[in-house]
Amino acid sequence: MMKQLFPKQHVMGFMFSLVLSVVALSVLTFDMSYKMGMAILIVTAIAQASVQLLLFMHIGESEDKKTLYTNIIYALFVGVVTILGTLLTMIWGYQ
Amino acid sequence: MKIDESLPLEYSTEENRLKILGFWIFLGAEIALFSTLFAVYFTLENRFGTGPSAQEIFHMPPVMIETILLLTSSFTIGLGIHAMRLGLKKAMMTFFVITLMLGLGFLGVEIYEFVTYVNEGATIQTSAFLSALMTLLGTHGLHVTFGLFWGTAILLQVRKRGLTPETANKSFIFSLYWHFLDVVWIFIFSFVYLKGLMVL
Repeated sequence: MMKQLFPKQHVMGFMFSLVLSVVALSVLTFDMSYKMGMAILIVTAIAQASVQLLLFMHIGESEDKKTLYTNIIYALFVGVVTILGTLLTMIWGYQ
Repeated sequence: MKIDESLPLEYSTEENRLKILGFWIFLGAEIALFSTLFAVYFTLENRFGTGPSAQEIFHMPPVMIETILLLTSSFTIGLGIHAMRLGLKKAMMTFFVITLMLGLGFLGVEIYEFVTYVNEGATIQTSAFLSALMTLLGTHGLHVTFGLFWGTAILLQVRKRGLTPETANKSFIFSLYWHFLDVVWIFIFSFVYLKGLMVL
């Protein structure tokens, strides 16, 4: 019963997300450059989001998966352009 | 209504399938919403004027508690949907109740955090940095608050009507929403708190 309620895949995904949080926390505990720290944060955040999206949200299981992926990738594109575009016009452009 | 028995309940009718697709499109719009709030925050994070800076007000212990609570709640709602697909109504409801309790715990710690900020003289009106920070955190917190009411309403429906194509569909869509809030929190955790506390 316990095995049935706690599928291995989900437990592994959860463990993985906890490990990723600890790895992200290492940017505070170890002395490292700003660039190195940001690189770690970007990698761990994207990995975390992927665990949620692919494993827990079951994005790839329905017959609409092509539409779902297109929609999410487009939304992420809009998000990244919004953030980087804002930084370009408001901060980086003046440095 | 045509019911396809080979699919999980929440996908079993065309209407259900389209509702799930529609919700994913809504989540796309939510990504755009939070991106604008992150853009504002990144633009203003160093504009703290005479108020406190990120380094001065951020404390990791409550943030770690919030992160663990939300990560765990995302896991338990995943287990809830898994139990739902096995047709185990009681287990599914138990996992949903645990999820909502964890969500409530998260909200409690976040409110405590806001009260601490205000007591330290860091209000939403103090500086551009704090306005941007509190708008971003507040929008996420508001989504969690809304989710608690929504989740409770769905639990009541499942208790009363059992696992039908309708209630299973609603529960699954709610789980998508909850996982999404966890993803947003991961980005807040990484690029607001950890980035803010990194020694330059």
